[in-house]
Amino acid sequence: MTPEREQELLKKLADAVVNYDEDMAREGANEAIAEGMEPRKAIFDGLVVGMQECGRLYEIQEYFVPELLMCADAMYAGLDLLRPLLQKDDSKPRGQVVMGVVQGDVHDIGKNIVKMMFDAAGFTVHDLGRDVPLEKFVEEQIKTDSEIVALSAMMTTTMLGMRSIIKMIRERNPKAKIMIGGAPVSEQIASMFGADGYAKDATNALKDAIAMISSLKDM
Amino acid sequence: MAMSIRDRVLGLFSGQEVDRVACYSGMGNVTTAGLAEYGYKFPSIHGDPGKMANMAASSYRLFGFECAVVPFDMCVEAEALGCAMNAYEDVNQLLYPTIKEKIIHSNDEMTRITIPGDIHERGRFPVVLEALRLLKNDVGNEVPIGSWFLGPFTMAGQLMDLNDLFKLCFKKPDQVNSMLDILSDLIIAMVPRYRAAGADYIVIREMGAPTDVLSPRTFRQVIKPHLEKIFRSIPSPKILHICGDTNLIIGQMNDVGAEAVSVETKNDLVKSRETIGIEPLLFGNVDAYNILVNGTPEAVGEAVLRSLAGGVDAVWPACDIWPEAPLANLKAMVETTQKYGASNWARKTRADQ
Ligand code: B12
Repeated sequence: MTPEREQELLKKLADAVVNYDEDMAREGANEAIAEGMEPRKAIFDGLVVGMQECGRLYEIQEYFVPELLMCADAMYAGLDLLRPLLQKDDSKPRGQVVMGVVQGDVHDIGKNIVKMMFDAAGFTVHDLGRDVPLEKFVEEQIKTDSEIVALSAMMTTTMLGMRSIIKMIRERNPKAKIMIGGAPVSEQIASMFGADGYAKDATNALKDAIAMISSLKDM
Repeated sequence: MAMSIRDRVLGLFSGQEVDRVACYSGMGNVTTAGLAEYGYKFPSIHGDPGKMANMAASSYRLFGFECAVVPFDMCVEAEALGCAMNAYEDVNQLLYPTIKEKIIHSNDEMTRITIPGDIHERGRFPVVLEALRLLKNDVGNEVPIGSWFLGPFTMAGQLMDLNDLFKLCFKKPDQVNSMLDILSDLIIAMVPRYRAAGADYIVIREMGAPTDVLSPRTFRQVIKPHLEKIFRSIPSPKILHICGDTNLIIGQMNDVGAEAVSVETKNDLVKSRETIGIEPLLFGNVDAYNILVNGTPEAVGEAVLRSLAGGVDAVWPACDIWPEAPLANLKAMVETTQKYGASNWARKTRADQ
């Protein structure tokens, strides 16, 4: 493949995501596969670059939640074709995350955005959804042996539930890293509850998660 | 003689001269202090008209709030349409009811939705109607009785997966619009019944549509037309409330035909006034959690003054009062409004000049 063609294809994949065009994402992925592009390259230099641009457009209020969800669908359409072709070594996820909105809380818009960014970065996300019973987080962490548990709450009372979840996880598996977020949560609350991390938005959540995974690998 | 609370609140809508800004709300304002006074558990007040009414009136009785409002949770409309609700009876913390089973799972079900003729007899509509009647008899001569409906978009978010709804706004806007049109008819059918039962004013809460979530463009295409239809069809007084960021859509909110617009703390009131001018009635926006629950009475007083400085015509909490707000804070909200609601009312000071 010529460098020009490679650039053209990567741009097509990125644009498909930014323009939330699922068909174009599939077409781009199929062309990449047919023309022998490394799947890893197509994913990370194509689709994911597009998703990062969507995150930027969201931050400057050019895109809003529906647009982001559709961009993510375009990204998933491409990923579905490319992921199965990853080499063994490459196909190992970057890390696993159990994620959900705690019991009594239906506010899941923010959590879904965080999930999207984690998917884009190559994490395997076990999404428990919203209004999740507290013990479910503990069970799922043990079942999947995930490195990270990410808890979201948008109300104060439901935020208090996080404290119990953190306590239960610490008792069962002290190694798991726990990050929390949502509008009422703050750095202070995170340390008071004994969480390992807090982030105010999806971009920072991802940065923290990547740092947590590297710290675990160093151990 | 001092003006009656009812005249102060309701007179503003009918163009009467009133003495000061009122301190009330069109959204839930149950408090844990009220619950303790009556020995009620939070989950039990949503299905019992007597308890519901007592809790609504307790905010007037305990801290002089200038209204009584039911219901407290956002599941009433969805339940009447067939959804199942969870009141968290067995949970110790204070949790608001949520919908546990949705009724729309496909495009097909979305286009098939209809409003049954006996909708007012379904779900907890009879409970709310009875609570309104009880309130009218109990405190209806002293304070205005308020009630609210979810806007059609937020209501749709209770009936179906919200992510799907968001995407369909782009992929199948016509289908979404026809569903929202039908849900608007539910509101239009129920408002007169609420009014007949005792409600003096009605709020439409389109909580799912601030710019934290939707673009101003989407608002114009899928939110605004339905709000226009609703406000065209329901009697005065009628108010629109939207939580979250609303500065980019305040002009549109002001255009839908509501007689007053209520906004949350994220709204910059000064900027809003720049957009909509000084004439429209604007209500808000004392932070219902960070200030009313976590703040000191002094901080509450300052927040009320900030809202007045921003040009509000009624001091409203920015959303449902979070029940754990201490009485001292709620009293500070009412008392600061009583004290400064005339001297610091931008509309009044302008007129006096
Ligand atoms: C939309 C909305 C709703 C929708 C929710 C739809 C849905 N499926 O999510 C509906 C209408 C259903 C709703 C219902 C209610 N709501 Co509401 N709602 C909102 C609103 C307007 C916007 C929230 C939102 O989606 N923001 C946009 C997203 C993108 O932002 P975000 O969630 O903050 O997420 C970002 C960050 O926080 C972070 N993040 C999020 N999760 C995580 C997790 C991790 C691990 C990390 C690191 C980061 C992270 O990253 C995200 C992306 O950048 C807020 C107002 C506000 N000012 O926030 C009120 C608000 C949250 N609601 C409130 C209330 C009171 C309610 C109700 C209880 C009302 C009632 N009477 O029943 C019910 C809830 C019932 C229940 N038991 O759950 C209050 C909560 C008050 C409090 N005590 O804190 C708020 C703050 C309004 C207010 N001003 O009082 N609501």
